[in-house]
Amino acid sequence: MKKKSYTIKILVLALLAGVVVVLCPFFGIRYLSCTDIAAREDIRYIFFLIRIPRTLAAFIAGGGLAVAGMVYQALFRNPLASSYTLGVSGGASLGAALCIALGAGGSVLGFSAISAGSFVGAVGAVLLVYVFAWSRESNATTLLLAGVIVGTVCSGLIMFVHYVSPLRHSFQIMRWIMGGVDGMSYPFLAVVAVPVFIYLGITVSIIPRLDQFLTGDSLAHSRGVNVHKSRNLFIVITAMAVGAIVSVCGPIGFVGIMAPHTCRLILHGVRHRVLALASFLAGGIFLTVSDTLARTITPPSEIPVGIITALFGGPFFLSILFRRKGRLQW
Amino acid sequence: MKRPHLEIENLRVAYNSCRVLDGIGLHIEEGERWAIIGKNGTGKSTLIKTIAALLRPVSGSVRICGRPVLSLRARERARYIAYVPQKPEAVIPYTVHDFVMLGRYSTMGPFGIPGETDRNKVAQALDFCDVRDLCNRMMTTLSGGELQRVMLAGALAQDTPILLLDEPTTFLDPAHERLFFRSLESAHEKRELTIVMVTHDINTALASCTHVLALLNGRVQYAGSAYDFKELCPDVLVTLYGIEFGCYFSESKLTRVYGTWVND
Repeated sequence: MKKKSYTIKILVLALLAGVVVVLCPFFGIRYLSCTDIAAREDIRYIFFLIRIPRTLAAFIAGGGLAVAGMVYQALFRNPLASSYTLGVSGGASLGAALCIALGAGGSVLGFSAISAGSFVGAVGAVLLVYVFAWSRESNATTLLLAGVIVGTVCSGLIMFVHYVSPLRHSFQIMRWIMGGVDGMSYPFLAVVAVPVFIYLGITVSIIPRLDQFLTGDSLAHSRGVNVHKSRNLFIVITAMAVGAIVSVCGPIGFVGIMAPHTCRLILHGVRHRVLALASFLAGGIFLTVSDTLARTITPPSEIPVGIITALFGGPFFLSILFRRKGRLQW
Repeated sequence: MKRPHLEIENLRVAYNSCRVLDGIGLHIEEGERWAIIGKNGTGKSTLIKTIAALLRPVSGSVRICGRPVLSLRARERARYIAYVPQKPEAVIPYTVHDFVMLGRYSTMGPFGIPGETDRNKVAQALDFCDVRDLCNRMMTTLSGGELQRVMLAGALAQDTPILLLDEPTTFLDPAHERLFFRSLESAHEKRELTIVMVTHDINTALASCTHVLALLNGRVQYAGSAYDFKELCPDVLVTLYGIEFGCYFSESKLTRVYGTWVND
């Protein structure tokens, strides 16, 4: 794609991201006006210590999930791959469900046992996929299938835990699985932001490898990519980043599929370094707006953001897909 | 004597327990052009893939300028050998220019920002293959013939001394095949490339290559100059392919052409 035409699109996306991040903290169960914020201590508290970290966390989590999805789609040359394909979501949910069912309260290093459990579950699931599928002969398809199966086994176990738990726990598990960025504070924001930015840094520095992966394993190999090592590296760092996001926000689905594909359709034919930036911005915008809707449309209660991402994101994505379906070529 | 560029020694390759190559030995010197011919399933592609380090031999070795290919790091190997497959494994969602630029991977820095040399090599490769006009086209919109020349351009952009081609013209019509070989020749003239190519087209192999390696059931049936190979034709072709071959002499071109009959 010509440099000029995508530069403008990226700039528009960046501008939109800026507007969204600045405006969204004002909206919520209650609209906070500037005069209120200036005048009242309690509203200032809500604005600066709750709404702002929540907005930032939503943006960074959305962006991280979008980039992770983009990475998996390129690694596996499969448009249906997402950050959850290798059982990450299933593992995280199972970890959280077990912690809830066993009544593991308390905290580890200041974070709830449920968060810690889900992180362990997410990374554990990916390791499990590796134990079964890793060998020199293993290819993208083997890994993908193993991931889907680990995910399915996890869902079965979650249903079991769900079924045998008392109603109170059962509801809590259900709520956790729906995902959400509610109850954010600056420490939680850090748990999301630090791993995501480290992840983005590493990914950007080795991003030409993704372009090579997309041309097929043997071509990538002949161009000088160590296909096995690179794929493993990408999978491990992506699992860690997604694990960190999921441990705080729950398994928010759909961002990792929708944001990168929307960007691919709009920025037809760009290389991954441009696509990664666009996906990060698009994922961030999408989750921030979804979260703002989640806390405004049914006052005085909030609805889980996973419902919004599916209900609003789905039709939006379908409309783009149908208008530009000719461009989706892999 | 020049030092052999590519030394293949006692190479054995197997898929699971099925032995495909059984003790191949070959010395290829700088600037030589080798055609590998033989029936389907005799291990031609396997040999090319083993040279490219895509496959690991059971025993034996492939050395490039004295160094075993398997001991080279991926980027280092990519500065010695480039590879052109029969057709791309995947649908490639890039423009022709961006795809050819991917050939520069092994010499580019971590963020993949192309420098002056990279742009020059890409421009040169596009010119060799006569695909400069296609520069801004998407790879997905190319015809089979154009696509193969762009694949060749991608490999030439890598700027390696050795070029491996695995049946690069199998899906091309005779006219596009001619264009493809013309591109290959212009690159060879300028760069003194060492070329190893798998092909089923005996006549093109004899016309454009200096040497022939004929494989039969995973073993070397003939390895030597193309000129000497012609002396053995068409009898050796009958041995290789197990069907009758005829020889035609073109007076205007002063050359012999080999072919088979459709009926019998």
